[in-house]
Order: sequence, then C-alpha cells, then structure tokens
Amino acid sequence: MRAETTFLRLGPFTAALTTAFTGVVEALLRLYPAHFIARQADFADFHVSLLPGKGARRFFRRQARFLIDGHENFTPLPADQALPLVEWGLNYAIAGMAHQYLIVHAAAIEKNGRVAILPGAPGSGKSTLTAGLVHRGWRLLSDELALIRRDDGRVVPLARPVNLKNASIDIIQAFAPGALFSAKVRDTVKGTVALMRAPDESLARVDEAASPAWIVFPQWRADAPAIFTPFSKAAGLVEMGHHAMNYSLHGAAGFERLASLFESCGCFRFAYGKLDEAANAFDALAAAA
Amino acid sequence: MSAVIRLERNAAAEIWRVSDEVRWRLWDGEAVAYNGRTGDTHHFADFAAWVFGRLCIAPASCRSLARDAEDSVELRAGGAVGETITRTLALLQRLQIVEAVA
Repeated sequence: MRAETTFLRLGPFTAALTTAFTGVVEALLRLYPAHFIARQADFADFHVSLLPGKGARRFFRRQARFLIDGHENFTPLPADQALPLVEWGLNYAIAGMAHQYLIVHAAAIEKNGRVAILPGAPGSGKSTLTAGLVHRGWRLLSDELALIRRDDGRVVPLARPVNLKNASIDIIQAFAPGALFSAKVRDTVKGTVALMRAPDESLARVDEAASPAWIVFPQWRADAPAIFTPFSKAAGLVEMGHHAMNYSLHGAAGFERLASLFESCGCFRFAYGKLDEAANAFDALAAAA
Repeated sequence: MSAVIRLERNAAAEIWRVSDEVRWRLWDGEAVAYNGRTGDTHHFADFAAWVFGRLCIAPASCRSLARDAEDSVELRAGGAVGETITRTLALLQRLQIVEAVA
C-alpha cells in the first residue's frame, strides 16, 4: 500500500491527510462534496496521517494509527474503525490548534440568520437533535465544535459529517430517509457509530458566519415533552465554560467573549424525547424571534 | 464538620472592593465573575451575588453592607446580617475576588 496525501476542507481549515487506507478516502469522498477534497493545495492548517499498525500485532489484527504533525496522541484502533478515528482525530487537531477561535464543544445550527448554540455532554442528545433539525430547515454550522470568532462573536461554519451513535443512527435514518450515511462501525469506544453527511445547503454556505441568538443546553429523556426552560445566564456561562475547549487559554478575553454572547442571547435548557416535537419547538423559537 | 472561614483582616474596620483583576456580569440577581489572578470563573447566587453586586457598584464596609442588606433583602440563612456578610466576604476574599482597600 502506498500512502497518498488528500487535502480536505473543514470549514475555514484545510487538513492534509496522508494515508494508504484507500477505503477511508473513498468514504470521505461520499461524506464531503467533491470540491472539498483535492490532491493538491497550497497550504494546510493540519498535517495528519492515518497509518497501519506497527510491530507484530499488525500480522494478526490490522490496526490504524492517527498522527498529528507526526505525533501519535491516540491509542491505535482496529483498522475497521479508521474512518471514525480520522473524524475524531480531526476534531482533536482543530480543538488543540485553532485558538484564533473560542472553541466550544457544542453543536451550532442556524435559521433566518440566527444561530442556536447547543453545548452538550455526551449522551445529552445533542448530535441526534442537530441531525434531525438540519433536515427540518436549519443549517448545520457544526455538530461537535462551535467556532466562535473572538472579535465579533459570530459562529464560523465547520459543516462536517455528524457523528451519530447507537440508537440515534436508526432514529435519524427514519426521520430523514434522504440523509447519506457512512457504513455503521461497531464495537468502538462509543458503541456503534455512523457518520451522516451534512446537508448540501449547509455545505454550500460554509463560508457564511452568523450571529448567535440562543444558547440551548439540550437533554434527551425518553418520553419527555419538548420544552424550553429559561436558564440562568450566570450559571449558563459557567457551564458553557466547562464545554469550551480553550476558554482558559483565552483568559479574560475568553470571559468577555462568553459574557457578550450571553448578554445578547436567550439562554435555555431544552428537554425532549421525540424529534418531531423537538423540531416543532425549535421552529416556534425561531418564529418568535 | 463545618469549616470556619475567617477574614484575614478585621472585616468591620475595612472597606471592601472587587479586585482589579476581576471581570464580572450581573444578571437577574446572579453574578458571574472571572478572576484574572487565578483563571477561575465563579457563579454567585442569592446573598453572595447581592454582596458581590453591591461591591461592583462601589467599595463598601461590612457595616454599610449590613445596613443596605437590612433595607433591601431577606436573608435566607437567618442569623445576624453582619455575621452573614462577614462569612460571605471571607469566602469572596478566599477566592481573591474581593480585597480590603489599602
């Protein structure tokens, strides 16, 4: 196998991915628009590699290793998990290096020029909600990492595949039958995962930053009615700080950015159990603005 | 077992103010403060938010805070107002959010 380099556009960034895993490159070609992927580019923000395992292990269990600038920060994974490893690794690279932004572990979606930022811990239903809403008229800005510009607080799109896990995969496939998915990858540390391609409209508008209007902390609970509950801005800021990947790094400027954000946004907790009801509730929120 | 928090200096005799390194916002009776000295962000509610918010407006003594408190808020904790303010100031001082004016 001969390693080749592919340049992949990730919102405002370009990653140079060098790999001999041809299946991964083919999967990326299905998950990203053709013009986001190139064999040549003048510049790359991140240089990453996906390499086969080394040592004797490679003879009886194929592995994939992910390196950023030549450094291996991850435990090798079975080769059949190479695609999610690339996506997770790219998130890691962005979160660890793109400090020109305040980066929050959050989804971000937009409607009528207004952005809802959805910070959420794993298991909160953030990605499921996001995947559903972007098939109901909301634009995907990000599923995992909300990039907030430090100067004006606008959210910069990082429209990439949405990472869905376990039951969420079937839920979204039923909710949005036209959505494009990677093959399911089983037995990962997160269970079964699949990547959903971002809707074409979100990809086409990847250069359009937008201003936040709402900060919504989602929480999925079986059979919970879809309800927005006003949430303390002071408590919300502290919670959002916990979800920010580089808040501490930005110091007082990071606090001022978050504080300005909360000053200008509505702050809510959002419980939901059914996607249809959640989509209706979000549409009502957008309509009332 | 309850911890005893004491002010490092004589609270009654001092004027207290928010430290220069602290940035804050006050929203709906709650406060959030960033301490540039420690890098910590704090959320204050209830009486702590009131005391902090009062010091954000202007430096004040324990006595004047107690006087204002008796006029404007109901204390949940019971006990003497001055004692509660002293305890709150001690907490804020320990977090390096407030300091005695030199």
